[in-house]
Amino acid sequence: MRKRKGRISIFIDMTPMVDVVMLLLTFFMLTTHFKPPAEAEIVLPVSNSVIKLPESDVLTITVSKDERVYLNVDSQRLRGELFGTEHQLSGGVRIETSEQLATLLMRARSLNPKLRTVLKGDKGAPYGPIQDVMDVLQKVKITRFNLVTELEQG
Amino acid sequence: MAGSDVGAPRQARHGKKLHKGRRRLNVRIDMTPMVDVVMLLITFFMLTTVFNRPQTMEINMPGDETPVEVAESNLLTLRVAKGDQLYWNFGVEPPQVIEFPKLRPMLVQSLAANPKLICLVKVDRASTYKSMVDVMDELNLASITRFSLAPFRDFDRQLIEGTASP
Repeated sequence: MRKRKGRISIFIDMTPMVDVVMLLLTFFMLTTHFKPPAEAEIVLPVSNSVIKLPESDVLTITVSKDERVYLNVDSQRLRGELFGTEHQLSGGVRIETSEQLATLLMRARSLNPKLRTVLKGDKGAPYGPIQDVMDVLQKVKITRFNLVTELEQG
Repeated sequence: MAGSDVGAPRQARHGKKLHKGRRRLNVRIDMTPMVDVVMLLITFFMLTTVFNRPQTMEINMPGDETPVEVAESNLLTLRVAKGDQLYWNFGVEPPQVIEFPKLRPMLVQSLAANPKLICLVKVDRASTYKSMVDVMDELNLASITRFSLAPFRDFDRQLIEGTASP
């Protein structure tokens, strides 16, 4: 036999840690909003505006760098009603013409009148398509909308 | 090793407290795999969660096409031409080139000189979205709240070309 100073069996009671970890887990599970699937990589322009994007009822019009326009809404149910069920889980639909955009905007507004319109343009996008989108917005009487920007550092 | 003891060790076989056939079992649950899984889940949620919502800039557009009469002396026109070149002019004066960093002092000065100032922003279709956001941001910072966006027409292009080569 070896000396009595052998291995000391250490019991660490993990129960309190597990409690805390479980609490954290529930917190994250309840607060999380998944990043919406994006169909185009958008680099936002910077500004000093500090108005936050509303949390729900958001309709996003995305203009990518290569002048493609997408329309998306944040609620999955509305997305299904608006674009058809096959687009329910997608990141919005591609818009080809301004008439298509106008009809979809009007339908979205009638389905959910609380919808806030948000224009999300890539910082390198040309101004032309942005102007077209804003003309459509004005035509369908959406006179108040937001431009998504990033807060300027420093 | 981690674990928790549930129940007491079996000993009181002949005690009176014993219920019928039931004995308390010494159950030790090893929590390590559960903790592993839970930690994985936590890291997943921590990484996917989006805390900072993006900032936005609000724009109000006039609803209908009613033309607003503005005195020419109150009207400051800002033009963003191709290549993000900035031009400004009051009323019908010829446009002048201005560097972007000088824009804000100029706007603040003009607003101080004329509180009734109204700004008209014309952005060329071939210019970038960033330049439009930048100009609007400068207007907001100079607290010029009354501005409008107007289409950039051929007339504007000619006007600017006239100043570029006098």
